[in-house]
Amino acid sequence: MLRASNIHYCIKNRAIIDQMNLELNPGEIMAILGPNGAGKSTFFKVLSGEIACKQGTVHYNGNLVHQLKPKQLAEIRAVMPQHSQLNFPFSAEEVVRLGLISSSSTEPENLISEIMEVTNTGHLREKAFNYLSGGEKQRVHLARVLVQIWENKPFPRFLLLDEPTSSLDISQQHAVLKILDKLKSRNIGILLILHELNLAIQYADKIALLKNGTIVKTGEVNAVMEKETLDHVFEHPIQLIKNPYTGGLIVSSSPEIISNLSSSKLAYYGNL
Amino acid sequence: MLISTLHTDKSKSQNLILLVFAISLTLLIFLSLSLGAYTISISQSFSILMEQLGIHIGLHSIQQENVLLQIRLPRIIMATMVGGGLGIAGASLQGMFRNPLVEPGLIGVSSGSALFAVIFMVLIPVTSTLFEPLQLIGLPFFAFFGGLIHVIGVYKLSKSQGKTESGTLILAGVAINALAGALIGLVLFFADDTALRSFTFWSLGDLGGSVWNKIPISLVLIGVPSLLLLFQHQALNALALGEQEAFHMGVNVQRVKLKLLIYCALIVGTGVSMVGMVGFVGLVVPHLIRILFGADHRLVLPGSFLLGAILMNFADLVARIIVIPAEMPIGVITALVGAPFFIWLIFNLNHSKTYA
Repeated sequence: MLRASNIHYCIKNRAIIDQMNLELNPGEIMAILGPNGAGKSTFFKVLSGEIACKQGTVHYNGNLVHQLKPKQLAEIRAVMPQHSQLNFPFSAEEVVRLGLISSSSTEPENLISEIMEVTNTGHLREKAFNYLSGGEKQRVHLARVLVQIWENKPFPRFLLLDEPTSSLDISQQHAVLKILDKLKSRNIGILLILHELNLAIQYADKIALLKNGTIVKTGEVNAVMEKETLDHVFEHPIQLIKNPYTGGLIVSSSPEIISNLSSSKLAYYGNL
Repeated sequence: MLISTLHTDKSKSQNLILLVFAISLTLLIFLSLSLGAYTISISQSFSILMEQLGIHIGLHSIQQENVLLQIRLPRIIMATMVGGGLGIAGASLQGMFRNPLVEPGLIGVSSGSALFAVIFMVLIPVTSTLFEPLQLIGLPFFAFFGGLIHVIGVYKLSKSQGKTESGTLILAGVAINALAGALIGLVLFFADDTALRSFTFWSLGDLGGSVWNKIPISLVLIGVPSLLLLFQHQALNALALGEQEAFHMGVNVQRVKLKLLIYCALIVGTGVSMVGMVGFVGLVVPHLIRILFGADHRLVLPGSFLLGAILMNFADLVARIIVIPAEMPIGVITALVGAPFFIWLIFNLNHSKTYA
């Protein structure tokens, strides 16, 4: 289990995150949602072990994150940051292979082939990474983090992703989340930052809503996704509609926004 | 199954490339043993070397044997170690700083080593009885500390919010180099004529002083850290994605960086103290390897050592035969090749996305 307790992190005496608690079980997908500047990325970095916080603890399977050696930690959790820049001419396959640095896999070649198949990057294998499109790069990085934790181990593993769908089109977004969904059965817990609320509703088991460095609400999707809460968190009128086909929720910007606009702007919208 | 063959093929082709480099280096060394102000044919060189192994062929004169064994061979070993060391140190530093423009000279390792070496030369006069033994061991270590202090300084200066910015890195390197240059000038102002003259030759790079008693030290202080660098190929590959990413993949980033800096400072410090400032080998060589064979450090590191050694031996050969019986300082030759390449590189960086 991934457990964060009483996380507090401040820069120059300004609290970026305050008193945050979170629990993620293997086999779950948890989405972290919140407006820009809510502290999502900082929280993410604390969870990944990248930055240490003065107060609070992060445990992976009962081990304090900073007491694990980087190599041990890498066997338990993989992290996909939002942006990674590569300054040297590596091929896509070489990038994926990097995920195996801490691995003791007996069949690394089969593993790489399997994952590149799963992430639909097999055809990019020999291509220069820096010449790939944004979406292709993101899928190659996904393949890299997947090889790191794919193989079954006697302990649960975790995957942390910071906006894994940010440069993907709608079909690729769903493709990625379907891959993540399949990971659940491999004793892997998934934590991801998302901006697209509908993706979170559709794929996440749990949601944590962040605002101003605190967790406003956390829990099952239906319990968290309430109009009042969302309005408050995003400071934007939000409407929840029932999907006529699946019965699930759809988030949309509320029509109130139109009624609140001045008449001149209304006229402008009218002309559209 | 097919894929695993593919990867084995890749390892095989990497080994093949290294083998070709090694053979070229050996051939070049034989050529370099034979050419120069004093003529020794390749077969005579072979005969002399065999003689040392106890096999008598007897094609050579005793004079040829002396020239080859006492003058050319130590010089060639020195060129091989220093050139190879600069190549692999350049490759490692470029990898660590994630910047293809980095070079031991640019980021202050060389000038730091030079400053400390000059201080050493002035502090311990050539005429003193302590000079010989101290110079052998003390000078390389002194230069190593100078290089290490400078490179750590540049690294700290160029780092902001956990990332090294290329622009700041270059600026920090320029600033530190300027400071070291000024301090060297200051030290030299108080130096006597002998120290001044030996500095002038040394600052241009000079393999002429390569005598046998310097060879064991250069073999150890350049050879051992170079071998240790080879083990860092995976960590350097991971660092190419960034320090955070390398950490996420299980690299102990702080420890790896410290190791890399110490090894590189040892190599460059020893090189600088032995033959002086030789520019551009550390920059050009890793680039050529990457352009030709890709960025995998499993190949880039040993490849840079071998190609660095080849380039250095070639430059030495040119330096020795271009103005017979005099010789050109080797730093002049490497800079003559390196500087245009550097210009080409800067030009292409602006137009290529490969390094974007």
